[in-house]
Amino acid sequence: MNKEIFDQLPADEQPVAAKLNSAADNMKVPQDFQWKLETQLMDAYQNKSQPAKGWFTKLIAPAAWTVAAVLGFVLLNWTIRSIIPSEQAPGSSSTAIPSETFESNVRQGKICEGPLALAHDFSVYVTNQDKTGFIELDESHAIGELRSFAWSADGQLAVVGNTTGTGNIFLWNPTDNSLSAVVPNSELGYLMDAAWSRDSKMLLAWSVQNNTVVYLMNSDGSAQKEIQLGMYISTAPQFAPGDQSIVLYGSNSSSFGLFEFSLDDSQIKTISNFVEDETGFAWSPDGSRLAYFEMDRDVGEARLVTEEFESGDKTTFATLPIPKGSGSSIPDVANLSWSQDGKFLVFEFGRSASDHAIYLANADGTGLVKLVDSAHAPTISSDGNCLAYISNKQAFLLDLKNTTATPLLIADLPAGRSTSDFRLDKLQWKP
Amino acid sequence: MTIPHYPSMDDANLARLARAEPDAFAELYRRHVQSVYRYHMAHTGNVHDAEDLTSQTFMSALEGIRSYRGAAPYIAWLMGIASRLRLRFFRRRATKPEVPLDAALHIPTPGLPTDRSAFQRLERTRILNALKQLSSDRAEALILCFFSELSFTEAASVLGKSEAAVKMLVSRGLQDLRARSSIALEMDYE
Repeated sequence: MNKEIFDQLPADEQPVAAKLNSAADNMKVPQDFQWKLETQLMDAYQNKSQPAKGWFTKLIAPAAWTVAAVLGFVLLNWTIRSIIPSEQAPGSSSTAIPSETFESNVRQGKICEGPLALAHDFSVYVTNQDKTGFIELDESHAIGELRSFAWSADGQLAVVGNTTGTGNIFLWNPTDNSLSAVVPNSELGYLMDAAWSRDSKMLLAWSVQNNTVVYLMNSDGSAQKEIQLGMYISTAPQFAPGDQSIVLYGSNSSSFGLFEFSLDDSQIKTISNFVEDETGFAWSPDGSRLAYFEMDRDVGEARLVTEEFESGDKTTFATLPIPKGSGSSIPDVANLSWSQDGKFLVFEFGRSASDHAIYLANADGTGLVKLVDSAHAPTISSDGNCLAYISNKQAFLLDLKNTTATPLLIADLPAGRSTSDFRLDKLQWKP
Repeated sequence: MTIPHYPSMDDANLARLARAEPDAFAELYRRHVQSVYRYHMAHTGNVHDAEDLTSQTFMSALEGIRSYRGAAPYIAWLMGIASRLRLRFFRRRATKPEVPLDAALHIPTPGLPTDRSAFQRLERTRILNALKQLSSDRAEALILCFFSELSFTEAASVLGKSEAAVKMLVSRGLQDLRARSSIALEMDYE
């Protein structure tokens, strides 16, 4: 019975309403139907998250991909060279590294140094020293799940973990691969993400049970405070330059979008109501510019925009077509990030795991190229020599000085704690 | 692997998690399957069609879960899908002979003694027939509020009307039922 509505009705309307309620109460969902449909939905969910495995995929598709890959490499090489001369590739140095030594240089740590962190299937990993495999954090699974992570600017790794619905932030100790809880006796709810302040002194987290609040604390867990936002968080807030405000994708009472919330005076500023994707925004390394994707469904284009932090000046320097109007066919943008030198942006764009492709854009707006098909979770190494990404449940490194060379396999993705969607996968180099 | 206390989460958060986590979608399904099923049952009066449309509604919701951005309550978004599928169903059926309501309702509810089931079936038939006598927007408002148990706000979101307009539709619908339908006659004898 809908008691809330029933109680609001005038007395003379209540008898008829009671009849309707009674009829509704007698319409029970047949139990066997309910269970059967739930099973079908879960099967459909799994199929939706995974690439098709029919005969076409097994036999025809690989052959087609092989041909397409050969043609693609030729075309890609020509395209990349036309817009990004090799000496201007991300993080370029005056000495080009010969492609045949790419693997040995990576394995020996001469290029693409530092660990690469991976979040996959509710576990978090870091690459081993020669980048031939992944080392699991919390190998004994003492923590129920590890959902996400965040590198600080000075190289500390914070990991977000949850056990029976209670979350905490853990700091990784690379010397013994241990995790230590930041918040003693945490009573935080189920935590989704964490973020570091730009000076690496503060941590911020938010809980899905109370997503109008951010928890702010020192990196040792002290001075914890709750900050009421007056709006709903939908994805990991990030500190803005100066650490006086945070930028987040969320919603206020009237609209969704990208907002800036001042930690000083709780003022909320709308940056864009066209932003629709949780990881479709990123600060440039020097903090001078915020890049984000606007999805303009009326016009039918996804716009890559950069906004100057000080002046608020916006520049649209790349667009990708999207279907007009609303609906599930709208592609999503994810894992937008900058190269350390601030010259390039990388992101993924697509509808499904097999459809997502990785794009590289010049941050001066002079070019946009598709780098890798059927791939996601891109991230550029701090020296700008490597693009790490995931494709078909394997992690790879692409030589950004020779993008037509065969990508170097890091390893198969480890089996995590529980299957999750590819959209929760995250790869990120230590800064 | 821990369960992130799905039962304690609101629909909007679950819907966001459901983009990547099947268990979150399952929780949303369990929460709302009754509302969707009753909605289709009230419109079609037919268990088979209600089941079929309920399946289609949740399959469509699964397909489009990423397009749900939280601007409206999740249940309103879901019932919007149900409403569109219902309209398409009736458009297609317009060219086919309709199963008589009485015949369609001759499907016993599992676990009920036959005599009680028969009584319920008759009562349901009477009410569903009475709803068919109302204007479509009044009937839709009553079905959303009483069968799917939506609030006025949620129903307003589905119908694309103001909350006050939905209250008015419900009130007029109830008055119509009382004045013109067999429900009124039955109540007079009670």
